Amino acid sequence: MAATRLVEALVARDTGPVTLVGEERHAPYNRILLSAVLEGTHSRAAIGLGLPDGVDARLGTRVAEVDRSERELVLVDGERIGYDRLVLATGSIPSLPPVRGLVGLDGTLHPSVHTLRSLDDCDRLDAAVPHARRAVVVGGGLLGLQVARALSIRGLDVEVVEGGEHLMRGQVGPRAGSVLARDLTRLGSAVYTGARLIKLTEAGLVLDNGAVLADVDLVVLAAGARPAAALARRAGLAVRRGVLVDDTLTTSDPAIHAIGDCAEHAGRTHGTVGPAWEQAEVLASRIAGADPTYDGSRFVARLRATGLDVAVLGDRDAEGEVVEVTNPVVGSHRRLMVREGRIVAATLVGDLSRIGLITQHFDRGTVLGPHEPAALLTPDRPGAPVVLPDTAEVCACAGVTAGAVRACASFDEARATTRATTGCGGCSAAVRALLSTRTSTGPTLERTHP
Amino acid sequence: MTRPATRTATRTATRTHCPYCSLQCGMTLQPRGRTLEVQPWAEFPVNEGGLCRKGWTAGGLRGHRERLTSPLLRDRATGALREASWDEALDLLAGRLRALRAEHGPDAVAVFGGGGLTNEKAYQLGKLARVALGTSQIDYNGRWCMSSAASAGNRALGVDRGLPFPLADVEGTEVLVLVGSNLVETMPPAARHLDRLRENGGRVVVIDPRRTPTADRADLVLQPVPGTDLVLALGLLHLLDAAGAVDTAYVETRTTGWAAVKAAAAGWWPERVERVSGVPAAQLRELADLLAGAEKAMVLTARGAEQHAQGTATVLAWIDVALALGLPGRPHSGWGCLTGQGNGQGGREHGQKADQLPGYRMIDDPAARAHVAGVWGVEPDSLPGPGRSAYELLEALGTEDGAKALLVFGSNIAVSAPRTGHVVPRLEALDLLVVADLVMSETAALADVVLPVTQWAEETGTMTNLEGRVVLRERAVEPPAGVRDELALIADLAARVGSPVPFSTEAAEVFAELGRASSGGRADYAGIDHDRIRREEGVFWPCPSPEHPGTPRLFTERFAHADGLARFVTVEHAGPAEPVDDAYPLHLTTGRVLAQYQSGAQTRRIAELPDDGPFVELHPMLADRIGAHHGEPVVVTTRRGELKATARVVDTIRPDTVFVPFHWVGANRLTHDALDPASRMPEFKVCACAVRT
Repeated sequence: MAATRLVEALVARDTGPVTLVGEERHAPYNRILLSAVLEGTHSRAAIGLGLPDGVDARLGTRVAEVDRSERELVLVDGERIGYDRLVLATGSIPSLPPVRGLVGLDGTLHPSVHTLRSLDDCDRLDAAVPHARRAVVVGGGLLGLQVARALSIRGLDVEVVEGGEHLMRGQVGPRAGSVLARDLTRLGSAVYTGARLIKLTEAGLVLDNGAVLADVDLVVLAAGARPAAALARRAGLAVRRGVLVDDTLTTSDPAIHAIGDCAEHAGRTHGTVGPAWEQAEVLASRIAGADPTYDGSRFVARLRATGLDVAVLGDRDAEGEVVEVTNPVVGSHRRLMVREGRIVAATLVGDLSRIGLITQHFDRGTVLGPHEPAALLTPDRPGAPVVLPDTAEVCACAGVTAGAVRACASFDEARATTRATTGCGGCSAAVRALLSTRTSTGPTLERTHP
Repeated sequence: MTRPATRTATRTATRTHCPYCSLQCGMTLQPRGRTLEVQPWAEFPVNEGGLCRKGWTAGGLRGHRERLTSPLLRDRATGALREASWDEALDLLAGRLRALRAEHGPDAVAVFGGGGLTNEKAYQLGKLARVALGTSQIDYNGRWCMSSAASAGNRALGVDRGLPFPLADVEGTEVLVLVGSNLVETMPPAARHLDRLRENGGRVVVIDPRRTPTADRADLVLQPVPGTDLVLALGLLHLLDAAGAVDTAYVETRTTGWAAVKAAAAGWWPERVERVSGVPAAQLRELADLLAGAEKAMVLTARGAEQHAQGTATVLAWIDVALALGLPGRPHSGWGCLTGQGNGQGGREHGQKADQLPGYRMIDDPAARAHVAGVWGVEPDSLPGPGRSAYELLEALGTEDGAKALLVFGSNIAVSAPRTGHVVPRLEALDLLVVADLVMSETAALADVVLPVTQWAEETGTMTNLEGRVVLRERAVEPPAGVRDELALIADLAARVGSPVPFSTEAAEVFAELGRASSGGRADYAGIDHDRIRREEGVFWPCPSPEHPGTPRLFTERFAHADGLARFVTVEHAGPAEPVDDAYPLHLTTGRVLAQYQSGAQTRRIAELPDDGPFVELHPMLADRIGAHHGEPVVVTTRRGELKATARVVDTIRPDTVFVPFHWVGANRLTHDALDPASRMPEFKVCACAVRT
């Protein structure tokens, strides 16, 4: 997705010929919606992103190596493609946990084991779902929970196995994690935290706490991903966890850039589309001759799964003062971390009613007042019914007060003498109500009703 | 021509239309002594006898002490205005105009019109500029009203008619989506159609940063950050496509361009929309589900969506939504624009726009020039080319390239222009400012020559309402002595500046000429005349011949592009021209209140209408942050100006946004002058501001 965005931005800026080499045979698509396709909320055809005209797209092939001295790529079929600038947007690959029996002797995954990284993965998993009854999702992070919900909605019995002490431990604290686990349980899935899958046998899945999950038809690995940096490493570029880039998104070779999940900037790799697209925009501008820099991204993650509402904002290592409201009774947990009046991190589980405002404040660095963080976590109170004073305007169109209506004997009289209800008609119910009760807090009607 | 009945002793009430908004509510007028009695005209289908308090009190300017009844000339020595005869004023005016033209060329004189003028006046104003003055410099305040919807409608559907169906059609739809419209307050009698829609089981959806009285009557309310309506449309397209709700048969047979729009929308999944727009993803899904499940649906945009530097793109995105659902041209379905000004529709069709000739003909089209020049009896080559758009025209005033004289008709620029702190000095830099108005408006107060003109009850002419229905405004009373109608004024002035052809002063005659000029154009009025309008309670354009029944509903068979197909147009979100930052951390948006109209030149002078001055609407959370209290003053600042006004603390507005009504001097000192690239609409609806106590 980083590459697609970059290519679009380059073509829009008319920076010259662009060649796109992609390992997947499919035209570019929106990867983050794969779990939605699996769940059935998105049609498979609807996630295609399309490519602008004039791009030389080489899909379904792979780069064997980068010949930096010649500034050429060597594809697996031997073809060489020259470049002035090379951008690596190789993404990430699923981490395979150390589980015995996961991978066969020929290096392929066990037939019941799946990942969900590519459209091919999605198709394969989708095809297996109708024949399956029981599924285990390994990993209780964002992807794991989305997959768990998707399979559950598809009618499977789902169990989630998470090695950490609570769900989404990479992004949220234990309270939020336990609210999530309750939600998932309420929705019909089993959750095992602090449990690791160690062995895949004929009898079933063996966990490190001794439990054996039998009759499992599907195992989906969602235990994280790591930057796909092998090509860069082979080419001799500086690589730590990901391909190292500076604020200009340039690697240790000035002609080579890296963006998206494969890149490591300021000691940080990302696994979400937001930073990837921000990097793509910055790099496209640079290639077009401008001089913006990339100074990191604001992290916002949203779980996309029916029945689970989760938003995580900011850096989990952020420091500040915490305002937190947890309501285990209704299954909500909301937590804001504030430093010098600005929201630096937030977790919202189960109640996203203020998400639209909190995200705005976070993204814009709004300086809040001292009472505001708490107010943001307090739902609006419904107003109590009030008795309208005689001075209250009930018909805005004609400017008629409650008192003037109360002074009338009937709806028709009110209509004829005050013109109330004759404009937009919105006050008809209020006028009828006033005339039916004919009580008043004001002096006018106390005279007429002694 | 006026019906004889209106002048007889029997005093039959005169059927006419309200002087204010684009609904053009039917009403009757009856002079009673020195006052003018307004009564409902129950048969007129748009309002069915309903009126708002502006309409009820519209007679209040009759005999008003502030009515102008004599031309006024500014004495250069003292700076004071003095009364003058029409002859003296027009002689002086014509002399100065001729001198400026001789010295600087014809573009030294500019004309600025209004969306409240009758079709006849708007037409004559365009002719005055192109034929008598020979200037390309003419535009009007409608540029600041619905021009973005006009650009988008033309581009996507091939024609711009606010509503392509009668307003009452909304009663029969299933889902009505109002994008940036507060019609319950801005055109109250329209709301009866909403209520009937809901009685029929339909749903109303309102999209507005404020939970307005219109939103109070809706089933679903989305409160986006100002300037992000476009993103909501892209998000809807995304969800509709994902759910398989796109009407593929319609898309294939009646449109082009879907594939690119689909690909662009694929990148706008709900959570991304949520981050940009501040609308929770769940609410967007709810709206998508409503639309996906409906056979009939309507999307209506208004100023909230349109008055942006991305206004055209925003409307295009919403038209894309309507097209994807297969709505335009189907019964009780489609997209439309709720035009604002009384003759916002007709005012843009007949030559007031910088780039257009009557009948929506483009001024740079040789065939259009030949046709209109033929009607006018001049050589096509004598017509000037396109001029500057409204704001650009004003910004150039008094500069080397810009006009040195400006004639203003039916507009109060000093209040209504964006960034007035920049525009008013441009007006002051003119050699000659001429303003024709009823009262001493803030703009008239700056003028060198002020010309008193008729108000609505004193004149006859046609208006085209928001439905494209041409209606007749009829003279009910004689104008005060000393007051002239603009048709007479324009004709007289044209003669005095040496027009090669005469100008008619009779509204029915001018309208017949307008019909010939528009004949064959997209807004074709050739088959309409005043008597026919009287008989038929309005006639919908296009109406190319007297036998033609008029066209209440457009697009039922084909769209107005040559190939008959509608265009999907791919647009991308850019956001407000002035994003918020630490210094100006809040969004400012502007709008109207029920009891006032536009710059308030008329409504602020009507005693029965409350005039509490401007106010600043802000949320309790924001009020608490800055220490503001309801009813006490606060100061709003932007990079362009400052306004002190009373705080109204309400929980109906987004906490990151403040609202100021624009009827009073001040609001537009704050607004931004970034322009839409296609429509040249200024970004009235969002800029960055700060608020303090």
